[in-house]
Amino acid sequence: MAASESGVSSLSRENNWRKNLILQLQERNKRQTYCFADLISLHNRLFENVNTLRGENIQLTISNETLRREAASGTPGLSVNADLEARLLKQAEELATLHRRKGEHTQQIVDINNKLQEMMKELQAKEISLAESVELNANLRLEISKCLNRERELEGVNQMLKDEHQALQLAESFSSPTAFLMHTILKFGKRQAKMQKELEDAARDTRPISPDRSSLKEGISGLPTAVPTKVSVTFTAHDGEVYAVKWSPVERMLATGGADRKVKLWNISKGAAENKGILVGSNAGVMCVDFDSTGTLILGASNDYASRVWTVSDFRLKVSRKACMQLIFLEFTTNDVILLCNTVLLILLPKYNLFEFEY
Amino acid sequence: MANDREVLREIWDGKIPVCFTLDSEEICELQGPDPFYLMVPRLSYFPLCTDKIRKHFIRHIQSDSKQEHEMWLEFNGIPLKWHYPIGVLLDIYSNDVELPWNIVVHFDRFPENVLMHCQNKEVVEAYFLSCIKEADVLKHRGQVVSSMQKKDHNQLWSGLLNDKFDQFWSVNRKLMEASNIEEGFKYIPFRCYTSEDKYVQKLVKPINEEGQRKTLRHLLNEVFPDNENVTVFTHGITPPLETPLQWMSEHLSYPDNFLHLIMT
Repeated sequence: MAASESGVSSLSRENNWRKNLILQLQERNKRQTYCFADLISLHNRLFENVNTLRGENIQLTISNETLRREAASGTPGLSVNADLEARLLKQAEELATLHRRKGEHTQQIVDINNKLQEMMKELQAKEISLAESVELNANLRLEISKCLNRERELEGVNQMLKDEHQALQLAESFSSPTAFLMHTILKFGKRQAKMQKELEDAARDTRPISPDRSSLKEGISGLPTAVPTKVSVTFTAHDGEVYAVKWSPVERMLATGGADRKVKLWNISKGAAENKGILVGSNAGVMCVDFDSTGTLILGASNDYASRVWTVSDFRLKVSRKACMQLIFLEFTTNDVILLCNTVLLILLPKYNLFEFEY
Repeated sequence: MANDREVLREIWDGKIPVCFTLDSEEICELQGPDPFYLMVPRLSYFPLCTDKIRKHFIRHIQSDSKQEHEMWLEFNGIPLKWHYPIGVLLDIYSNDVELPWNIVVHFDRFPENVLMHCQNKEVVEAYFLSCIKEADVLKHRGQVVSSMQKKDHNQLWSGLLNDKFDQFWSVNRKLMEASNIEEGFKYIPFRCYTSEDKYVQKLVKPINEEGQRKTLRHLLNEVFPDNENVTVFTHGITPPLETPLQWMSEHLSYPDNFLHLIMT
C-alpha cells in the first residue's frame, strides 16, 4: 500500500517534474521562439527581397548603361555629331592641303613671273634681232633690186651690142661699105656737076637769092659766105641747154631740141618767136633734130640711145627706135635717107628701112 | 531510453532571434549595413548558421585586406566561443541578454588568446564528433560510437547541420540507449558552467549504491558539496531538482550528448 502510495506519489512527482519541465519548455519556446519566428522570417524574406531587388537593380543599371552606350553609339543625333566632327577634321585637313597648295601655287606664280620676265627679255632680244634681220632683208632686197637693175642695164647693153652687131651685119649686107660709099660719092659727083650747071644758069639769071635750102647749099658749096653779126630774134626755148636747132625746109618754122628732153617748134615771123608745139617722148636730152625734105616729119636723136620721128602737123610721135649706141648726129638726106652718126660710126639708113623696121 | 518525443521536440524546436550588426569601426562606407536578423537553433553552433551573415557584411568592409579574414562574434565586449552550442552561450549570458540577441560581427583583430580558430565547418564537425565520443566513453565506455559506421556519424552531423530532427534522432537514439536498463548509463556526461569560460565535469553515476535513481539534486550535491541551494539553468529553463539524472541525460542533453548546466 505504502509502496503503491509511494509509487503513486513518485509517479505524481515524476509527472509533476515532467509537467513542470514541459511547461517551462513550452513557455520558453512561446516567449523566445514563436513570437519572433514570424517577424524574423518576414524580415528575412524582406531582406532577401531587398537583395534580389538590389541585384535586379544592378542588372538593370548595367543593362541600362549598356543600352545607353549602344544608344550613344547608335543614335542619329550623336552620330551626326560624330559625323560632323569627322567632317570637320576632314575639312581642316583639306584646308591644310589647300594652304599648302596655295603656297605651291604662289611659288609657281613667282617662278612663272621670273620665266615671263626672262621670256620678255628673250622676246626683246628677238625683236631686236628681227629688226636687224628686217633691215638686213631690206638691204638685201635693195641690193637685189640694184642687181636686177644692173642686170637690166647689162641686158640693155647686151641688146645694144646685139643691135650694133645686127647693124654691122646689115651694113655688110650692102655688098660692102666701101662700094656703097663709092657709089654715093659718084652720085654726089654727078649731082655736083648738075648743080654747077644749074649754078651757071642761075648766074645768068641774076635773080635775087632766096634763102632756100638748095641755094644755101649752093652757097656753101660754091659761094663765099658772110657771118651774121646782128641778132634778129632772141627767145628762151628750153629749161636748160639747147642742143639742136633746124629750119623747116618749107615754112618759116624752127625746131629746137634741149636738155629738157623736149623738141619744140617755133614760128619765126616779124622779129618774134611763137611756140607752135612741143614734141615729147624723149627720155633724155635731145641732141639733134632734122626735118624731112617735105617738112612733114621731124627726126630727133636723144641721149637715151633712141631716135624718134614726129609729124609736124599734129605733133604726134610716129616712130621710136632705140639704137644700140649714143647718137650725137642724124640727118635726113635729100632723098630722105636717114643718116645716123655716133662717135665712131656713120650709118645711113633708108627712110623706108627705118619705118619698115618699126612697122 | 529517450522516448519522450514531446520533450525532445520542444527542445529541438527551441530557436532564438539574433540581431547581427557589423562593428562600427570596421565599416568602410559612409552608410553602414543594416543589421541582420536571424532565427538560430539553440542546439546548433554559430559557424553553422553565419554563412548569410558573412555574405551580408563582407561587402561593407575594406575590400582589399580583410575579406579573407575569419569572422568572429562578440557580445557585450566578450568574444563568443563558437564551440559552445548557441543555447549554452545564451544561457551563460542570459542575465544580460534581451531578445533579440544583439551580437556584433568582427572581421578584424581576431582574439587569438580567447577563441579557437574556425576556418570552416569541418572544424566544427570534428569538435562535435569528439564531444559525442567523449560522452559515449562516459556512458558506454565508447562502445556504441566505436560500433557505428562513418555514415552514422555523417548522419548525426548533417541532421544537426540541416536541422533535421528525425534524421538526427534515428542515429542519436542508439547513443541514448542504456546498456543496462536498471543501471542506466555508466556515467552521466555533463558540464556544469560556473562562469562563462569555466565549467566543472565530474564522474556521476545515474544511480546510487542502493540502485536508486539519482536526481538533479544529487548531482548538484555531488558537484557542489559546499553549496546546498544551487539551481541550474539549461535550454532556457530551470529543470526541477527532482528530475532523474538518467532521464535528463537522455532528454535534455545537447546534440553533443552532454548536459550543459549553467549555475545561476
